[in-house]
Amino acid sequence: MPASCEQEIMLTGDLHARPAGALAVAAGRFAAVIRVTVGDRTADAKSVLSVMGLGATSGQHVTVSAAGPDAQEAVAALVAILSEATKVGG
Amino acid sequence: MTTASVGIVLVSHSAELAEGAANLAAQVSGGTVTIVAAGGTDDGDLGTSAAKVEDALRQADQGAGVVVLPDLGSAVLTVRAVLEDYGSAGSVLLADAPFVEGAVAATVIAAAGGDLKAVAAAAEEARHARKL
Repeated sequence: MPASCEQEIMLTGDLHARPAGALAVAAGRFAAVIRVTVGDRTADAKSVLSVMGLGATSGQHVTVSAAGPDAQEAVAALVAILSEATKVGG
Repeated sequence: MTTASVGIVLVSHSAELAEGAANLAAQVSGGTVTIVAAGGTDDGDLGTSAAKVEDALRQADQGAGVVVLPDLGSAVLTVRAVLEDYGSAGSVLLADAPFVEGAVAATVIAAAGGDLKAVAAAAEEARHARKL
C-alpha cells in the first residue's frame, strides 16, 4: 500500500467549473491529501475554488499527486475524471 | 453512499440571484445535494422573507443539518430571527462567506460527504480563494 503516488496527464479541454467540481467531489471522498499541479501552480484537489483558480487549459500537463493510505486509488480516480471531464468543458 | 448530505440554503435579497447561485452550485457539484433558494420578499420584491427562509430550512434538511449562506449582512437579521423560533436550530449553521463562491465550495464538500462543520468551513474558507 503506497503512501504516496503521482501521475501526469495532458488536458484535452479546459478545466472549467463542472470538471473542477467533479474532480473536487471525487477528491473529497478520499482520505489522502491530494494536489493538482499545473506549471508552477498547485491546488488542493478537494477545494473546487482552488482547482478552478489554476486556470488550466487544453494541452497543459497536469500532475495529480496524493499522500495517504488511499493515495493510489485517489490518483487513479482523479486522472480518470480529468481525462473524461475535460472533453466536454463547461 | 446511503447517508444524507448536508443541505444548503441560499438567502438573497433577489429571488433571481438565489435561484441562479443554487443552479450554478448544483451544476458544479453534480446535482446530488439539496440546495434551496430563499430569495426576495413574499411579494416578489427585493428583500428577504422569514417565511421563505423557514420553508427553505425544512426542505433542505435531509437529516445531516443545513448550512445557510446570506448574500448581504441584512439577510443575516432575517435568518437569525427565523432560527430563534426554529425547532432544529442546533442542526443549522450560518456561514460568513462570499455568496457565489461559498455556495459552490459548500455544495461540493456536501456532495463529497462532508459533515455540517466541514461544509460550513468550506463556505467560510471561500473568502481566501484567488480567482487570478
